[in-house]
Amino acid sequence: MATHEKVDVVIVGAGASGSVFAAVMAKQGKKVVVLEQGPDWQLSDLISSDIWGRRVKPAGGPFVLEGRNPVSYGYQGGWGVGGAALHYFANFPRLLPNDFKIKSEHNRAHDWPIAYADVAPYYDKVASDVGVSGDAKAEEVWRPAGEPYPMPPMKTFRNGDIWLKGFEAAGIRMVPAAVGMNSVAYKGRPACLYDGWCHVGCPIGALANPLVTYLADARKAGAEVRPLSTVTRVLTDAAGTRVTGVEYYDSSKERQVQEASVVVLAAWAAQNPRIMLNSATDKHAKGLANASGLVGKYMMTHFASGTFAIFDENVENHMGTTGAQYMSYDRYGKTSHKDAFGSSFIVAGTALKTSDLGGFANARLDLFGPDLHAFMQRAARGFSRIGAFGEEMPNIDNRLELTSDKDEFGMPRARVVHAYDKDAEAVWNANFAEGVTIAKAAGAKEVWSPRGAMPTIHLMGGTIMGTQAGNSVVNSYGQTHEIGNLYVAGPGIFATSGASNPTYTIFALSLRGAEHLAANWSTVAG
Amino acid sequence: MDRIERRQFIQGAALGALAFTVGGGEIPLTPRAARAQGVPLRTLRRVEAATLEALGETLVPGAREAGIVHFIDQQLSGPPEEALLEARILNVRPPYVNFYRAATGAIERASQAQNDGKRFAQLDAAGQHDFVDRMRQNKIDGWQGPAGAFVYLVTRSDAVDVVYGTMEGYAGLGIPYMAHIAPAKRW
Repeated sequence: MATHEKVDVVIVGAGASGSVFAAVMAKQGKKVVVLEQGPDWQLSDLISSDIWGRRVKPAGGPFVLEGRNPVSYGYQGGWGVGGAALHYFANFPRLLPNDFKIKSEHNRAHDWPIAYADVAPYYDKVASDVGVSGDAKAEEVWRPAGEPYPMPPMKTFRNGDIWLKGFEAAGIRMVPAAVGMNSVAYKGRPACLYDGWCHVGCPIGALANPLVTYLADARKAGAEVRPLSTVTRVLTDAAGTRVTGVEYYDSSKERQVQEASVVVLAAWAAQNPRIMLNSATDKHAKGLANASGLVGKYMMTHFASGTFAIFDENVENHMGTTGAQYMSYDRYGKTSHKDAFGSSFIVAGTALKTSDLGGFANARLDLFGPDLHAFMQRAARGFSRIGAFGEEMPNIDNRLELTSDKDEFGMPRARVVHAYDKDAEAVWNANFAEGVTIAKAAGAKEVWSPRGAMPTIHLMGGTIMGTQAGNSVVNSYGQTHEIGNLYVAGPGIFATSGASNPTYTIFALSLRGAEHLAANWSTVAG
Repeated sequence: MDRIERRQFIQGAALGALAFTVGGGEIPLTPRAARAQGVPLRTLRRVEAATLEALGETLVPGAREAGIVHFIDQQLSGPPEEALLEARILNVRPPYVNFYRAATGAIERASQAQNDGKRFAQLDAAGQHDFVDRMRQNKIDGWQGPAGAFVYLVTRSDAVDVVYGTMEGYAGLGIPYMAHIAPAKRW
């Protein structure tokens, strides 16, 4: 075993949240080490292929997936430097003010310890930092005014435009989608080419992945990134009042210790609580920062109601971006749908490829043989889809817990148990029904709802934020209530899920937390 | 930031070459070429390969000649973290060969039990189609193995990959591939 020279900050995970903390702290002159479980991907590794794109995703994981609606993370998960944000769709919708006050306004779930106004300035800062294209003014029918986006909206294509007539008929306002992509050259990065391979990684840097944004800034400021370094435990002092660093295994599977004044867990919503639970000591018998027993609780996901259609014209569905061309918050009110509770966020216009989970071969999973081939030929010309993401209310029974089975590093695997409640199912169904109406009004020739198992998208929660240790694991900055120099970053700290794609909020909350850490360094680091 | 310009990385459209072991050395071949040249399989057993090939052809016409078995075998013969199989993102636990063994075993047991000892590959096209249709709906009596619907999902994805997921497959459907970085390294 080797013990490395103590650094100021050790960050576990080189994805969206970890890269923000790394950039902010390194720019402050702090000595920063980022430990990443997977490889050190380069832009040139991002091959335009659904088959090759699987390399940047987890290869079987240490999670056992259980419950009526098991969490599916392989498609969305990250593995390696950049994390899931290396291959995300870069949809950048915000949470809205109503997300932060569900308890106050509806006596459901819980309030966040902060309001939209606390996060809004960081949405604007992130937009400037990484580059966001969109029309902020158009969004302001749903949210308070903020800064304009630094770039105009992206181009649209027939596969998006063709839906507008249907949305108009349904009384749903669609505006240009906010996306973390370059509609024009920005900060030395080129404009998007609209080739539709965002979901396997954008090698030209037009899409705001960590390699070309915060992680690049962090490295430039001196942060060290150690790939193939698997953290298994956070270490504490004898009194159990301070963390002292982390234990990890290097690429040779040798045990290492990296000491640090501050530890930031940014390893994803499931891995963070797994590490915290595995870091139990006699002073923290239930795991770190877990006196309340809430570490691993309130795991949440989004679900999507897709509406699929074939139009009698060439919609050029290979063109555009994997992220949306249009978006709407017109069903974002918590009670937008009768007899259902939870927000919906609507998107339209996306580039499509043939294979993989999101490819159009899977649009009709019931078909095989010659019937599938006939469908593929029709779909290649006229297939398009819209979608509505839905919000799941936090449920303490949706949880992560350690098992007795262990991985190659001797770390217990974790069981993730998840089931949707009736409200989620009702929102899901309502969005299907509305989607079919929209598609028919748009003039689609064939329309169907791909109902199968209710999907689980965007894992969140497990280390939620709140006002005190009795109701949460961390405060609004991601600092654990119980151990002042232990932070958690990423979607795990969301108090509720909203219905918006989470990465923009992950960036914003991480920037807010990192700047707070920097401003209070002497107090936190001791 | 790496300076990568539009399609600068397209290095011909050779596509689909994986590293196959031939004569003691590794050479890049497409799965289609590997099958055509009779490259020996490294992981799958003969019966497993025959079942997968027949299943793949039933799921997606053209999968047999596109080399579905050589594709799967090549992917099963390396470390899981380098695998390009859809099983990887469908949360199949490595080593992935365990899944394929269990799946083909379940198919063979069910086929022989229901068809007077005939293997799946020995059924006629209509019989294979009917079997797969029931398997995808978890409607095969006495099925022993991974859920039939999941076997269908994973293997259908493999067949889709080799037939429709390649640059050649896109061309067959008349879809511009438009790569930033073409998959010319190995696949």
